[in-house]
Amino acid sequence: MKKQLLTASLAFSALASFGAGYQINLEGLRQMAMGGAGSAWVWDASTIFYNPGGVARLKTLQAYGSIMNINPSTAYGNTTGSTRSVAQSFTTFNFYFGGTVKKDSRLGLGLGIYTPFGNGLKWEDGWTGRFLTQEVQLRTIFVQPTVSYKLGEFLSVGAGFIYANGTFMLRNAIPVQQYGAGYTYGPNADGGVDMRGQGNGVGFNLGLHFKPSDNLQVGLTYRSQVNMNVGGGNATFYVPTSLKTEFPNGQFETSLPLPQVASLGIGFRPLGSDKLTICANVDYTGWNSFDSLVINFKQHTDQLKDQHVPRHYKNTTTYRLGGTYKISKVVSAMAGASYDQSPTVQGFVSPDLPDYDRVNISFGASVRPAKRITLLAACEFTATPKHAVTYDFGNFNGTYTTQAITVGIGAHYNF
Amino acid sequence: MKKLYIIGAISLLAAGCKPSVDITKEPTAGDAVFSYYMAIGNSLTAGFADNSLYVSGQVNSYPQRLFEQFQKVRVHGAEGNFIQPLLHSDNGYGWDGTGTSITDNRARLVLGWSTNCYGKTSLAPMPLPTFSPDAADASFTNPDAGDQLNNIAVPGIRVADYPVDGYGNPINGNPYATRFYHDVTKSPFTELSYRISRLHPTFFTLWLGANDVLGYATAGGQGDGSGSASPIFGNYYSSTDITPPSVFQHIYDSIVSVVIGTGAKGALINIPDVTSIPFFTTVPVNGLYLSRQTQVDSLDAFYRSKNYKFHLGYNNFIVQDNAGVTRQAVDGELILLNVPQDSISCYGWGSVLPIKAQYVLTTDEIQNIKLFTDKFNSYIAGAARRNNLALIDMHSYMASLKSGMVYSGVTYTTQFVTGGAFSLDGVHPTPRGYALIANEIIKGINAQYHSTINYCDPNKYDGVRFP
Repeated sequence: MKKQLLTASLAFSALASFGAGYQINLEGLRQMAMGGAGSAWVWDASTIFYNPGGVARLKTLQAYGSIMNINPSTAYGNTTGSTRSVAQSFTTFNFYFGGTVKKDSRLGLGLGIYTPFGNGLKWEDGWTGRFLTQEVQLRTIFVQPTVSYKLGEFLSVGAGFIYANGTFMLRNAIPVQQYGAGYTYGPNADGGVDMRGQGNGVGFNLGLHFKPSDNLQVGLTYRSQVNMNVGGGNATFYVPTSLKTEFPNGQFETSLPLPQVASLGIGFRPLGSDKLTICANVDYTGWNSFDSLVINFKQHTDQLKDQHVPRHYKNTTTYRLGGTYKISKVVSAMAGASYDQSPTVQGFVSPDLPDYDRVNISFGASVRPAKRITLLAACEFTATPKHAVTYDFGNFNGTYTTQAITVGIGAHYNF
Repeated sequence: MKKLYIIGAISLLAAGCKPSVDITKEPTAGDAVFSYYMAIGNSLTAGFADNSLYVSGQVNSYPQRLFEQFQKVRVHGAEGNFIQPLLHSDNGYGWDGTGTSITDNRARLVLGWSTNCYGKTSLAPMPLPTFSPDAADASFTNPDAGDQLNNIAVPGIRVADYPVDGYGNPINGNPYATRFYHDVTKSPFTELSYRISRLHPTFFTLWLGANDVLGYATAGGQGDGSGSASPIFGNYYSSTDITPPSVFQHIYDSIVSVVIGTGAKGALINIPDVTSIPFFTTVPVNGLYLSRQTQVDSLDAFYRSKNYKFHLGYNNFIVQDNAGVTRQAVDGELILLNVPQDSISCYGWGSVLPIKAQYVLTTDEIQNIKLFTDKFNSYIAGAARRNNLALIDMHSYMASLKSGMVYSGVTYTTQFVTGGAFSLDGVHPTPRGYALIANEIIKGINAQYHSTINYCDPNKYDGVRFP
């Protein structure tokens, strides 16, 4: 009879935690500075990401590298208090190499290595939502060999194959506590779980680049969904000794959709010269493939069962607008803004990704100190308005706001 | 160089990026005055847990949580200290009224490893192995010179006990009352009036009545349960029977009128459905597991005269009902958590021997408990309505736990040990469970008095601890 004491599922609603994609949208510094609008205009080798159809438009081979530092901060409040996420800083990078192999060739080739999805949020130890999430982190790297062909001045096309690799980590507390020595009540130290995994997946992207005139360019692109399949993640449990057999350390499986994106961009030169270029983009992201997070443990016990956490993400539309102003032959300045819809749905907003519609404002500059070299710098400020949301699955409600500042520098070199 | 300055400036900006959300609202008292708060009740109000009274339980009582929230109100918020008759140790209260230690059932329960007759070791609640009562706990010395006491709850007290003189008598009295009662020769009514004269409460919570049915229930329905019991001594009713409704109503109304006599406002908390708590729901009625056909055949043969049929798998236990009749339990009947589990696993209880009547609630007894719980709750609701007091429907709230409830990322159920809300005795909440109760009371107070008292954060407090 006594063994029945521990049968039903322990108060373990946890593992509700993994935030899906946090789409980074920082794959080129000039585009970042222009509100992320990038599929229409072929500026440099970052078109491997923004529009693979543009690679054949590059005059030469180009090497492009940039590094970005993202500094997000999220605040949470309810009627009894407020807290702020632990300060963290994330570094992402892009590397592109590509262009036309020979002068006036119609064929463009390229290789892009970039980080389109990522997320990181860490809350103070002991915070009230710790049983839902203590920390999450997602990092992805896409490697994309690309081929592009210029059918004529009017149209060039391109396609890339994507190999994606990613790592993620999530931690949360488990509401079980251990006695102190001699069955005393020590400090309130919760149990916890630390889950880490590595996954990979494949996908592709396609691009059409139209150039009706020198002053008007149009881009239409599609990037497929990439399913990151994590086969052998490791779950490590920190629980009282008597519960070790109920929470065995072991492997788990999960899969995360990195959603498909379709973009339409238009760029034009209103002054009829290269003095001013205006670009606009509409991106449609297929987040609704993230319906729920499923984590399957290899070894089950009465307490440790597979987790099925509803997310019900919805598809989103993002609007981007930016401009480049050529101050001199050497220096250009860029500015832009975007409005990025959140895929989260009221009632399903978990504190691991308390996302909301985002407003981004950005600016930057490029300098060309020598004929073949261009230096780039950009800065983006992101904010979500304060928004009151609920997470019914965990009965956890509150108001969140997120701000992030991202700075990036980079350079490209024409061969 | 200029660009380096710009990047430097941007980096500084990044470091200064600190969003904040402050949607806290200054709590307000509304129509109530929380300046002097008094809690009246039984073990649930005293902070009893793990079958014992101990100091870590007391400081996590729901009145303590309420006081902390009342204190945050600037105008008409709680003043001074919240004084409870605290024990000194976490061992458990181990004294009877004569200063003799009563180690048998007062030690705090802990989860530990125990080995049954088959040598099988498992995790189970057991009395604290190193129990020794703390001599300082036998009596309570009030730290307040004016003898102010904010929590006058006495574990075990019933509504029916309020007029009983000598309730805190060192001999045969309630030892929890003996500890702190001002005059142990008098009744709880006298104590209540005395404490009111010391504190002058402006606000109170009153949670009484559970023991008027729970005593019958935890004794396995030993009284007759008809609600027509007579006093067994003076004006004292048997603690293992249900208090007669007319007696309950009369005394309950008197308690309320004494408390509101000084103009205090407050909340009346009704009686939970005691049969939905783990004490009654943990041991399944069909816990007789037969794995071999020979077991089935021998039990069939054993009970041939009664024509009971057994089968492989889970069968209903054989029990003894209140009339002393041995029979097979029917679905819906309840086996109490305090049934000697070794007797079932090792000595044939529930199969060749019946589970004794005091560990079984039969269908009739469950009906009685529900009937009188509802009846008493209708009196409590009436008293709240007539006196414009908040009514806290703990009966419905605890019922909602039965199907599982999620609060701030933690799932609570009435499941024993793992459910998170109930301590190891299966009756009394954990500190986290008491915090949930405090929040439910706050909700009712805010609704009644248009106040805006904030909820507490249950995640700050302990659930069940494990070795």
